[in-house]
Amino acid sequence: MIQHDILIIGAGLAGMRAAFEGISAGLDTAVVSKIHPLRSHSCAAQGGVNAAINPKDDWRHHAYDTVKGADYVGDQDSIDLMCSEAPQAVLDMDAMGCPFSREEDGTIAQRAFGGQNFPRTAYAADRTGHAMLHTLWEQAIKLGTKVYDEYYLLKITTDNGRASGAIVMDIKTGKLHQIKAKAVCVATGGYGRLFASNTNAMTNTGDGLAHAMRAGAAAADLEFVQFHPTGLRNSGILISEGVRGEGAYLIGKDGQRFMHKYAPNKLELASRDVVSRSMTTEIMNGNGVNGGVFLDVRHLGRDLILERLPQIRQLSIDFEGVDPIDAPIPVRPTCHYTMGGIRTDKVGHSEQLPGLFAAGEAACVSVHGANRLGANSLLETIVFGKITGKEIVKFVTEGAGKDWPNVDSADMQEVSASIAQLKARPAEGGTRQSDIRKELTEAMQEYCGVFRSAEGLAKAKAAVEKAKADMKKLCVDDKTDAFNTDVITALELDNLVLLAEATVLAAIERTESRGAQSRVDYPARDDANWIVHITSTVDKNGNVTLGRDPVRTVNNPDYAPAERKY
Amino acid sequence: MSDMASTTVTFRVLRGTIINDKLVQKTQDFEVPVDARTTVLSALEWIKGEIDGTLTFRRSCRASICGSCGMYINGRTRLACKTKVTDLLDGNAFKNIAPAKSAGVIEVGPQRNQPVLKDLVVDITPFYDKVKKLDPFVQDGPEKQIHVSKDAFSQVNMVSNCIMCGNCYSDCTAMVENPNFFGPAALAKAYRFVADPREGHKTERLQELSEKNGIWDCTRCNMCIDACPKGVAPMEAIVKLRSLAMEAGITDNKGAKHAMVFKDDIATWGVLNEPFMLLKTAGVVGALGQLGNALNLAKKGKIPNPFPFDHKVEGLDEVKAIYQELKAHPIDVKTRSNDDGPGAG
Repeated sequence: MIQHDILIIGAGLAGMRAAFEGISAGLDTAVVSKIHPLRSHSCAAQGGVNAAINPKDDWRHHAYDTVKGADYVGDQDSIDLMCSEAPQAVLDMDAMGCPFSREEDGTIAQRAFGGQNFPRTAYAADRTGHAMLHTLWEQAIKLGTKVYDEYYLLKITTDNGRASGAIVMDIKTGKLHQIKAKAVCVATGGYGRLFASNTNAMTNTGDGLAHAMRAGAAAADLEFVQFHPTGLRNSGILISEGVRGEGAYLIGKDGQRFMHKYAPNKLELASRDVVSRSMTTEIMNGNGVNGGVFLDVRHLGRDLILERLPQIRQLSIDFEGVDPIDAPIPVRPTCHYTMGGIRTDKVGHSEQLPGLFAAGEAACVSVHGANRLGANSLLETIVFGKITGKEIVKFVTEGAGKDWPNVDSADMQEVSASIAQLKARPAEGGTRQSDIRKELTEAMQEYCGVFRSAEGLAKAKAAVEKAKADMKKLCVDDKTDAFNTDVITALELDNLVLLAEATVLAAIERTESRGAQSRVDYPARDDANWIVHITSTVDKNGNVTLGRDPVRTVNNPDYAPAERKY
Repeated sequence: MSDMASTTVTFRVLRGTIINDKLVQKTQDFEVPVDARTTVLSALEWIKGEIDGTLTFRRSCRASICGSCGMYINGRTRLACKTKVTDLLDGNAFKNIAPAKSAGVIEVGPQRNQPVLKDLVVDITPFYDKVKKLDPFVQDGPEKQIHVSKDAFSQVNMVSNCIMCGNCYSDCTAMVENPNFFGPAALAKAYRFVADPREGHKTERLQELSEKNGIWDCTRCNMCIDACPKGVAPMEAIVKLRSLAMEAGITDNKGAKHAMVFKDDIATWGVLNEPFMLLKTAGVVGALGQLGNALNLAKKGKIPNPFPFDHKVEGLDEVKAIYQELKAHPIDVKTRSNDDGPGAG
């Protein structure tokens, strides 16, 4: 059997940063990833990473902006920790060789981002995540980090209430392996693929989160899902806010602008959640076409479009088949980021399942609360990759994780049997996974998206129930062992179905509107009852049970809930 | 363009299975409904979802940033997510895509120069092993500069666009001749470190890169520049590495010698003296090794008279003037290409 002191699932920024700590401490550290580390979705982050590096800035201001941005359900101790550690975390990356863009004097350049009072976003051109990911991969090569490249997580195993390792599949051969570990860290990112329209990679299916829940860890904040107003209707590919900055209109099927009804002053340039909600209202009222409205730039004229929006024009032509010079661009609010994840303490350790850690989008430390600020996601990966990594080192060297856990080969047999069963299921009377996926993600988009109501969420719940039933009939075409992506995507869908259930239940439970959760039937924020996290765990029968967990506060009067105005 | 909504296109996919350690390949046709938005990736996803779940390929981001879906598509290696079906059918001069050879047919196969594992999936281990061999990380050392200027990364940025998709490696013609060649992506990555002011071992790197399988093995065929979906232009990076290596005095290798003889011949005679070039590049012993080839060429009258040129090449004075001008005002190779690739600034 394979064993490692530390087993990290996921090779994006958070996972690789945590691995760096394990290796640097001289511990046997391995990373499992279903795709090559450089394919991880961290590479898609463009904007940058927040840190109060500038002497005129103060991490306390950054923390304040984050607490407010989170709509007061972020955990204040984690937010303070993240913001105070941010400058060093960025400087660490710089020292490793990350080519951050520079000011004239050679210091790291920073630019302004939404929802913040200081230009504190460091960046590497417009591919910051890509540059950071390549840097951490370079360090992994330098340090000789063991990476199980193209291995898929099938189960997180436990021993008497402690995480003991994982069962993984070598995708290349289809062979299963049991890996024993003193600590397991989940860094598998978010689950944005749960929504029909999203900006996410096709691999963002929340595998680690779903398996952590099945293993006994709690998840939290799953109802908070961030939508960006203008994704291309067909592909979800982002059309930057800058287009509206240039004067683009949002119009409905009737060809008329509608934002004056919702934001008479700011119109198309109101905040993201307001615009997303307005567009969704129009679509629900029948003023959309195929589930989208339109972003119209025709009045800006051919010359301006060619001069200032060439990339946007190309994206629209390439992915929607529409030339914005001649026709409006079909857009719809698109899922961008999942604030929820594995519920952990301030430093990334699960309280329900000792030995299980989480970092990055997969975790709910919770620094984002109900709404994430731009450029805080990359920051979370490198700060909590580092801090959680150090915490894991402590756990396995001097903490409760010093001794090896036991592993049970029955786990391996169980997983092996369930895959055999999936492959053996006959096509006759079966359901294709593409059908289940389409139905579920469309229902989530429509009924558990930007706008939610008891009525709509009941429909979403019914869709989840149907998907759960359909999963039992799911049949795959590929019965072979080697590189069986048919089986992998079916197992990913199984994880999405669990997360769908948890997300819908939490959205039903939270009878208020806060951050990304917008209930039409409960339009107001309810601080008296709802400054609390909703947790989700999986019971013996595989169903989701909800709970509550208090928001951690630090007694800072500046952090008292106030109306969010920008 | 919406009139294409009901069109179907034939996807001719080169499928592959390993049977008893041997790769068995055959093509299979799929009729796929397409419209103006369909990409090769979305078509493959449609086939996998609706028709045949056994079709196997890698993909992730759908937005040409993760580098998973490099494939050999209608005669070139491209990212499936970035390649539109309409461009392949009709051709797109702007994107340097020629119209499909057989009308209405799109041929998709695995990347080349790499072992196939299944269908469109290749073994990327050799590709990455070569990158790893080049110590792809910034090192402390004597040449490390502490100060990093605003435009210090202008050179680094362009090659930093690389997403390691392997498309250049797949279309590399030098790789076909010498499978041990590091290949365009690895060398572009190496340039990323040589050009980084914070790197401490620039000269040592240039020395290593000048050895066998390195920068001088590139045939400068341009294929990698065409294949790159991110505008990295690996060949330009290789040319810059060559210039930097020679500037650093690393000339004791065939490639550098060849380049110098080439330059000297042109500057002196205006034409190449090919027989002597071999002698000067490879040395007497090396040239003897090529004797068989030389005799064959001589038999067919393909070796020009190597002895004193009895005529002056027309325009030689202008050629000499160009060299003098270059000597007086050398071009700084490092600034040749600005960071204007996709994703820049």
